[in-house]
Amino acid sequence: MPLSRLRTIARWRTAAAVVALSMPGGDAGARAAAAEVSFDRDVRPILSDKCFTCHGPEDKSRQGGFRLDVRESALGEADSGARPIVPGDPEASELIARITSDDETLRMPPADTHKTISPEEAETLRAWISAGAEWQQHWSFIPPARPEPPPVKLPHWARNDIDRFILARLEHEGLTPSPEADRATLLRRVTLDLTGLPPTTDELDAFLRDNRADAYEQAVDRLLASPRFGEHMARFWLDAARYGDTHGLHLDNYREMWPYRDWVVRAFNANLPFNDFLIEQLAGDLLPAPTEDQLIASGFNRCHVTTNEGGVIAEEVYVNNVVDRVDTFGTVMLGLTIGCSRCHDHKYDPIKMSDYYSLFAYFNSLDGTELDLNAKDPAPVIKAPTPPQKQRLAELDAEIARLEARMNGDWPEVDAQQADWERQFAQAAPAAAGAVNAGGSGPAAAAADATPTSVAYLAMSDWHWVGPFSADERYLRSQKQGPEGKPVRLDEKFKLATGEEVGWVRRADWADGAVHSDLPGDPAANFLYRTITVDRPQELELSLGSDDGIVVYLNGEEQLKNLVSRPPAADQEKLTLKLRQGENHLLIKILNFGGPSGFYFAAKTTLAVMPPDVLAAAQLPAAERTVEQQSLLRQFFRNNIAQSAQLDQFRAELGGLRTARAEVDRSVPTTLIFRELPQPKPAYVLLRGQYDQHGEQVGRRTPASLPPIDPAAPNNRLGLAQWVTSRDNPLAARVAVNRFWQQFFGVGLVKTADDFGAQGERPSHPELLDWLAVDLQDHRWDLKRFLKQLVLSATYRQSSRVAPELHKRDPENRLLARGPRFRLDAEMLRDQALFTSGLMVERLGGPSVKPPQPAGLWEAVGYSGSNTVKFVPDEGHEKIHRRTLYTFIKRTAPPPQMSTFDGPSRESCVVRRERTNTPLQALLLLNDPQYVEAARGLAERTIKEGGAETAARARFLFRTLACREPSQNELADLVAAYETELAHYRTHAPAAEQLVGASSMPLDETFDRAEVAAWTMAANVLLNLDEVVTKN
Amino acid sequence: MQSSITQHAAALTRRHFFGQSAFGIGAAALATLLPDEQAAAAPSVSLRGLPHFAPKAKRAIYLHMNGGPSQMDLFDYKPKMDGMFDADLPESIRMGQRLTTMTSGQARFPIAPSKYKFAQYGQNGTWISELLPYTARMVDDIAIMKTVWTEAINHDPAVTYICTGHQLPGRASLGAWLSYGLGTMNRNLPAFVVMTPTWSSKADAQAIYQRLWGSGFLPTQHQGVALRAQGDPVLFLSNPPGVDAAVRRRTLDRIARFNQRTLAEVGDPETQTRIEQYEMAFRMQTSVPELTDLSDEPQHILDMYGPDVLKPGTFAASCLLARRLAERDVRFVQVFHRGWDQHLNIAGDLPLQCGDVDQPGWALIQDLKQRGLLQDTLVIWGGEFGRTIYCQGGLTRENYGRDHHPRCFTMWMAGAGIKGGLVYGETDDFSYNIVDKPIHIHDLNATIMHALGIDNNRLSYRAQGLDHRLTGLEDHQPVRDLFA
Repeated sequence: MPLSRLRTIARWRTAAAVVALSMPGGDAGARAAAAEVSFDRDVRPILSDKCFTCHGPEDKSRQGGFRLDVRESALGEADSGARPIVPGDPEASELIARITSDDETLRMPPADTHKTISPEEAETLRAWISAGAEWQQHWSFIPPARPEPPPVKLPHWARNDIDRFILARLEHEGLTPSPEADRATLLRRVTLDLTGLPPTTDELDAFLRDNRADAYEQAVDRLLASPRFGEHMARFWLDAARYGDTHGLHLDNYREMWPYRDWVVRAFNANLPFNDFLIEQLAGDLLPAPTEDQLIASGFNRCHVTTNEGGVIAEEVYVNNVVDRVDTFGTVMLGLTIGCSRCHDHKYDPIKMSDYYSLFAYFNSLDGTELDLNAKDPAPVIKAPTPPQKQRLAELDAEIARLEARMNGDWPEVDAQQADWERQFAQAAPAAAGAVNAGGSGPAAAAADATPTSVAYLAMSDWHWVGPFSADERYLRSQKQGPEGKPVRLDEKFKLATGEEVGWVRRADWADGAVHSDLPGDPAANFLYRTITVDRPQELELSLGSDDGIVVYLNGEEQLKNLVSRPPAADQEKLTLKLRQGENHLLIKILNFGGPSGFYFAAKTTLAVMPPDVLAAAQLPAAERTVEQQSLLRQFFRNNIAQSAQLDQFRAELGGLRTARAEVDRSVPTTLIFRELPQPKPAYVLLRGQYDQHGEQVGRRTPASLPPIDPAAPNNRLGLAQWVTSRDNPLAARVAVNRFWQQFFGVGLVKTADDFGAQGERPSHPELLDWLAVDLQDHRWDLKRFLKQLVLSATYRQSSRVAPELHKRDPENRLLARGPRFRLDAEMLRDQALFTSGLMVERLGGPSVKPPQPAGLWEAVGYSGSNTVKFVPDEGHEKIHRRTLYTFIKRTAPPPQMSTFDGPSRESCVVRRERTNTPLQALLLLNDPQYVEAARGLAERTIKEGGAETAARARFLFRTLACREPSQNELADLVAAYETELAHYRTHAPAAEQLVGASSMPLDETFDRAEVAAWTMAANVLLNLDEVVTKN
Repeated sequence: MQSSITQHAAALTRRHFFGQSAFGIGAAALATLLPDEQAAAAPSVSLRGLPHFAPKAKRAIYLHMNGGPSQMDLFDYKPKMDGMFDADLPESIRMGQRLTTMTSGQARFPIAPSKYKFAQYGQNGTWISELLPYTARMVDDIAIMKTVWTEAINHDPAVTYICTGHQLPGRASLGAWLSYGLGTMNRNLPAFVVMTPTWSSKADAQAIYQRLWGSGFLPTQHQGVALRAQGDPVLFLSNPPGVDAAVRRRTLDRIARFNQRTLAEVGDPETQTRIEQYEMAFRMQTSVPELTDLSDEPQHILDMYGPDVLKPGTFAASCLLARRLAERDVRFVQVFHRGWDQHLNIAGDLPLQCGDVDQPGWALIQDLKQRGLLQDTLVIWGGEFGRTIYCQGGLTRENYGRDHHPRCFTMWMAGAGIKGGLVYGETDDFSYNIVDKPIHIHDLNATIMHALGIDNNRLSYRAQGLDHRLTGLEDHQPVRDLFA
């Protein structure tokens, strides 16, 4: 197949491209005739769209032996001997001959590309060649310089420099700006834009009363200082960072990552300079002595979807993960679609495959697992206690230390008891205790009734774990895996089916007598191992539980095998071990046939179970013990054996404190972070993007067409992050300011916010874009200052009313002859309903919540064994009425309140949401129980706060939602609506009862049900108004 | 230039979730419902230039068998395997082909012949397994494709690939492309409807994902709308408790009145669109319950679909609903039947799965045919990959398991000018490699688009700097030989 056919475009698409080209100047043909042809603005878009596929940057598909993106080649001889371009002489230029040829076999582009060059485009090319055929670098690859704001005819209109760029263009187009929006509209607009919530009626009244000249600026400062600002800004970023609460592929199990979301909110609220915001996410882990926050931020590179599907090939998953990191980096930081170069040199932009895989080399060396193990915390992770948790842990630690110090105090009568007790060890034959390098597992189940006894001791090491050995279920049932069938050696390494190598891991955190449900793999086998050392042969009774099957070996002999399927619990298996004198080896295999996996273990003995190191200390003659061993032994004795009423009390207190601490510690969230391998993994060009097709090896290098990385900087992600945000980098600041522009004005100055390359749209206001980019950098990337400037501009403050002619001329409002007007995003819609109804629980941060959604949405798609197959809604005001930012996102079945209003699934990076208008949205806003509940909340507020008269109440309700004074007609309509429905619900009392009962919140007993129902329906009307669901 | 700007604007603001209003509903018309037939007869709103050529199908129904049905136990008859029970799969056949890590560690790859009896049916003597007696009765209605293949070897990437043309999330699904390209034919129902029925195999069923019917980079109005068996058939369709149809109508009239004022004052055409969408929502509150109310189906029709047809959420109920959707000119219906991942226990689970789908699938074809709908409805049946001839896990004559096999698998199509009775393509004696006429899944999707009048190589959408197509970067051709 001819590669010229690789990109084919339907006819309507061609029309779109022409419009895009003409946008900046309005009329490309006229400009061409005026001989002001700019290569970058006018010529490259034609060449890129029509010619580069075969005569562009990509070597492999090049035809005719020449390329048009490089001057030397285009001016040289093609394979045919002809010169594509002869500067100054269009008639001698083969390019002109070919695009205007009547001979179908000669004419370019070839018919099978479905592309044509219009007469206007041909004229542009001819004019450019006549003028000397100068090439320029693509605009976005030239670092921005701060342009002078242009002169304008209406200088008094401009409030700041932004306005001069906008106005100059309007004047050039013969348009005039719109008048300023009225104050109420403006306050609602800016409050929504800076906090994601509408203003309250009190705020509205205060603003309308405020006669100070800078009243608006004061309001903006107040909003920028609100913690709601960070919550609102965060959600745009979370789309780009592809944040979700599940892994996103296959099982789609829970992933604990919300501390990263909290960090994003914190960073915006603290006004972290935006360059640092980017650096900490790209490379927080590589900063010198990184703070906990910087480590959390590095989770940006772990937000991508992951899998642990049975049967996957680890190398393929590794490549997919790294590719996602690189592509997201390209889109978010550089605005380049570098992902195109994964499989072939970029066809339009100067990014080669070797460039792509050189970037790949910065992101490929994760010190952890690329398979997610279906666990919420695939390594590397850190614990990220919340501030209250931190405080509580510190308090408990201080209490524990105080008690331990007291227990460790001078206590002669207890020391005498200890000396007595120690004597028996001297008599016992020293066993091979301490062979296992284990620490204290603490008192076991028997501690409570421990007494000094002539039966000497039982020493148990901590658990050691290795796994998961993934295999098909039948395999698991029938075959030996990993350490089975041979003596356990703790330094042994095992190869998993995924190719990964694993070793034994000590698990001191697995206390006996509790269910532990954190075994990874599905289906899989995990192994647990510990030693039990005794002074004489004896029996030991065990209580065991397992999810699912269990096999127990003692000293290599199988003791128990039960291949069942079940959740783990105590006493599922009872087993009596016959222990030999000295060290015994207990190996337990836990088989998981599906879903989560775990185990339970408790030893039933009246002995105080000694950890091996205590035993070793006890067996030494007193004189030979080190100070540490003395202290260890004393602590063990006093904690477990000594008889003293005072000690009993301390022990009870300490036990309580330790339990409390363990509980807090268990509730501390983890979050995925990035950590670099000590030695980077080699990176290769992957032929055709295939994970197993290695081409040449490549090192870390930034794309050749962009400035090089500072040789003094480390050549790692940190150096890369500093390179991104350096002054030399032409892209990062432009891409960032463009996204903020898009957020406030609806469309970016570059509409293709994800593509600043040759196939992206050129900026509508190139000088303004550059001015903004430089301005942000000049002011140390101070985001709040930058945004304040946007919303203070006259451009932003314009009324959004639009006359039909203007709408026809500029439907997307690219010229900004009017203020922005577009539908609120999913989160803002729900937040507005909760906020105005008084239901919203405002609390910064914390784990994701599950407000109610229709039953069955998760089950309809979920893997039977997934831990997110069943949606259980949260209950209680505190959880179900949080801001939508905190709603749990299961990526394979995102909440309908999000997806119905164009919220992305967070499976991949999105920097630009669509904005649709559908009947499903109408059904949701009309009928979703949470919106109905909000309407009832609004009804209650209306009755309580709106005054006594119906008209006053109607006015209150209207002002609460529309944030402006109703007209007389509007007020009359609302009153009529209320009265009609009041009459209806008076005669339909059960219906009124049903409607007002459709809320999770109690209703004031004294309220008239029919009145509440009627106001509820009035609020239901207002919550659905175009004006209310739109930023005006 | 001006005219093309306007055209561009029209293309951008066009709403074809249900098609743009061809009527321009005015304020006066708001309170009056459009008669259903009139609304349904509204012209289809497709992209300019589409369909690219005269379509064979106006609509399509895709019965997706999720998990990977075992082709050699159902369609791809391999009698020579009988004599090779427990023999090692020859290296010359396997040719080092990559395996999933579930069996790549197996010491041997012993051949598991199908335990099921095959017999010949129809005018061409097509071999069909005893597990599919109803399918056997309709071999002359369907074209069996034995040589579909894919590169993906695990479920998530494979099903994402066949449904969206790419192994990783983020692309538009087949149905979203059809909605985007062809628009809708019934303004009272979505253009793309999805059902996720129950299944009978006992093993854990593989997950599916909303992305399989998502719109990816296309505007979200093109995503599939789930028709649910639980709660509201379409999300949030029912009025809140205590709100009857009259209250709702009054509410909508009030909303419209306010919105008309806003439109007059502000002049944003988006307000006009919103007014229309609210009316559409109201009509859906009637059209969807009518669709799902089976009480007007005569007993002999219900009997065709089998005993489960009145149990909500079964595959049989989904097939009957699919026919009702086809009657209402819904462009694309996709039914995701899960549970076909028989790594072990083929003997236990495969018959249960076949029991779910065999009779209802047959009934759907017969029902469409007797109503004259089959001639312009394309029906597609199949999974995301096939299964291996070699056994996974324990092997006996009576029971065995099979791992994933992407190199060949069987699907069938019917209706819309598809050649009934055709068996297309040939695999080797082991159903391991394709010997003749391979159909890559991109070719398969190209064929589906072709039937609907779309040149897959010419329907593209620019996102992130690339002109995306369902069938990928390289050109793919439909399998024209499948059509009469």
